[in-house]
Amino acid sequence: MTIRPLMGLFLGSALAAFSSVAWAEDVTVSFLTHWPPETVAKLEAAAATYAKDHPGVKVEVRAVPFGDLLTTLRSQAGQSGGPTITGIYDLWLPELARDKLVNAAPEANATDVTTNWPKGVATAASVGGTVYGYPNEIDVYALNYNKKLFEEAGIQEAPKTWDEFYAAAEKLTNKDKGQQGFGMINSWAAGVVHPFASLLASNGGALVVDGKPQLDSDNAKATFELYEKLIQSGASVATMGTADANTTGPFLDNFVSGKTGMIIMANWWESALKAGMGDRFADIATAPIPVGPKGDGPHSISYSWMTVVSDGASDAEKKAAWDFLAWFNGPTSGENGASAMGDLLQSMGILPSRTSDVAAFSERLKTPFLAGYVSALSEARPFPTVLGGQEFTESLQGHIEAVQFGKETAAEAAAGAQADAAAILEKAAQ
Amino acid sequence: MSGFRKSMVAMLAPSLGLIAIFILVPIALTVWLAFTKWSAQTPFSTATFIGLDNFREIFGTGSVGRDFKGALANTALYSLMSIALILPLSVLFGMLIHQADLRGANILRTILFATYMVPMIAVALVFSKLYSPSEGPINQILGWVGIGPLPWLSSPDTALVSVVLLNVWQQVGYFTILIIAGLTQIPQSIYEAAKMDGARGPALFGFITLPLLKRTLLFSAVIALINAVQVFEPVALVTQGGPVGSTNVMTYHIRRVGIERAQGGLGSAMSVTLLLALVVTVTAVFALARREDRR
Repeated sequence: MTIRPLMGLFLGSALAAFSSVAWAEDVTVSFLTHWPPETVAKLEAAAATYAKDHPGVKVEVRAVPFGDLLTTLRSQAGQSGGPTITGIYDLWLPELARDKLVNAAPEANATDVTTNWPKGVATAASVGGTVYGYPNEIDVYALNYNKKLFEEAGIQEAPKTWDEFYAAAEKLTNKDKGQQGFGMINSWAAGVVHPFASLLASNGGALVVDGKPQLDSDNAKATFELYEKLIQSGASVATMGTADANTTGPFLDNFVSGKTGMIIMANWWESALKAGMGDRFADIATAPIPVGPKGDGPHSISYSWMTVVSDGASDAEKKAAWDFLAWFNGPTSGENGASAMGDLLQSMGILPSRTSDVAAFSERLKTPFLAGYVSALSEARPFPTVLGGQEFTESLQGHIEAVQFGKETAAEAAAGAQADAAAILEKAAQ
Repeated sequence: MSGFRKSMVAMLAPSLGLIAIFILVPIALTVWLAFTKWSAQTPFSTATFIGLDNFREIFGTGSVGRDFKGALANTALYSLMSIALILPLSVLFGMLIHQADLRGANILRTILFATYMVPMIAVALVFSKLYSPSEGPINQILGWVGIGPLPWLSSPDTALVSVVLLNVWQQVGYFTILIIAGLTQIPQSIYEAAKMDGARGPALFGFITLPLLKRTLLFSAVIALINAVQVFEPVALVTQGGPVGSTNVMTYHIRRVGIERAQGGLGSAMSVTLLLALVVTVTAVFALARREDRR
């Protein structure tokens, strides 16, 4: 026996070992999210489970505050070290697709989305019929109220109309205790605009119809007037509604500490409320959005989130990212037929959107808090996802806050918001 | 070219080259982009020349112009208030610490400078809790003496001042050290001569200390101005420019327009305007100081 076969065997083994090591570190997929640390830990656990069967792929999670999410995506997407997967708000998708920052889903993934998600949700994850991401959470708004404060104020049930809502807000107000009837948010664009839009929808109106803003309609004017009336009567105190970049701050503090009787908030706040209130979370109940004089029933606005893949990532990263997302959102990654994403969303009190997840969590979704949101889904109005949507939202936020702080009257706000929105949407469409 | 000149050019070329690449080129690029319509997410080649349209828009009456002018005014107000508080306080603390017979001067100096070493991100987060209207300790303390509660960051009337106070708390130690350095440059013999002529406390301060500290104060004012114009973290972390845009300062607004909305041309026009405003202000301050010197 000569040394040559042994050398060959040695080299062959070494190459195999080397290639196995190299394969193990082959592709790194970074996942950018705004989720809190406990949810990030769950995502990392899911990534570790995935890695067991996919030794060539490593999924790294990066978390930033919600306020920094879009900026981080826009400034780092496609660059070395930039995020491969990002969780985004559907409002941002049209511009991200226009700027070619997000990768169109491969056919198999696109079919997965259109087959396994409700049509409206799949549409929100698409631009011009092209699917760009895996939808995950869907959010709607409802009236949250403190049952204990209602009892103290002698209010029997949740308000159903604007008149009952205003009356309840006045009864709940106790200036000596520093207690306000209804809490309005400021300093957080979506937090300001979504409750307003839900009240507007429940008064028969809409923010945008056929690409044109409708902020000076009678329905919208009445919504601005409701805000003005609540502020002027002292039933809402604007300075109690500030939010910070993490969507916490005095607005949350005042509701969890029982200084705010009612708020209009989304279902995903359940985890924040539970964390802030502990056992007192049992005092919180959910009811439909009060209906305005021109409304035909309670209508929340709805919006969804999705995970998209950066178009600037390498082909190997994109392939690995789509494969991970298919698994992560698929029915085999979680427990009892749910997806791992569904498990994770449920841990935050967020409604999943995949049809099989909704079935898997049907019992969980019957809790008193979440049931109110689930019932709002069928009559919800999607928040308009248009080019210039973020600027439109921030502009409207400015006018709503101006009413809250007495800087504009309801009429001035309606006229100003309409003029600004028309200019913004027209420019964005060019 | 003489041998001396050649060697001079050869020695300066590396440093000047780096300055050109990392400072002059980005500035020139920003100026060029200010005259274009460009999405910040697309290559520079997609930028189309639109002349002065961006500048017309940011100084116009639409929402873009209103927000920009509001941010410019907020930045100017923030800078003025910061300088107006930082300089007198740093002179006061500097005078106190500079007294040779003050016990614990070194400890006081360390404590004052320590605030400057704390990262702004930590300062901003702590102050957001301190300022909490209902549960914040500042309002609780003020409540003991019958004041408040004050809304601090939660009202458009007080939010900017609250951010200024946060900035002053962090920066005053640094400027105190600068003032102390300036005070040590004033010869004791001048004070001794003035005392022999009968000058005492306020007169010594007004006729000797302040005039001889002028260059240090000028330098401090310019640095404080540049620092103030660059304020970003407390706004991004705590107020998000609100309420009602009352803390929407230029750096935060440019980031929102140029990056978040990807309107790179508009963002560049805003950056160029801010740069020009800063250059004009600093030049005016120095020109004023030179005129005073000639007198």
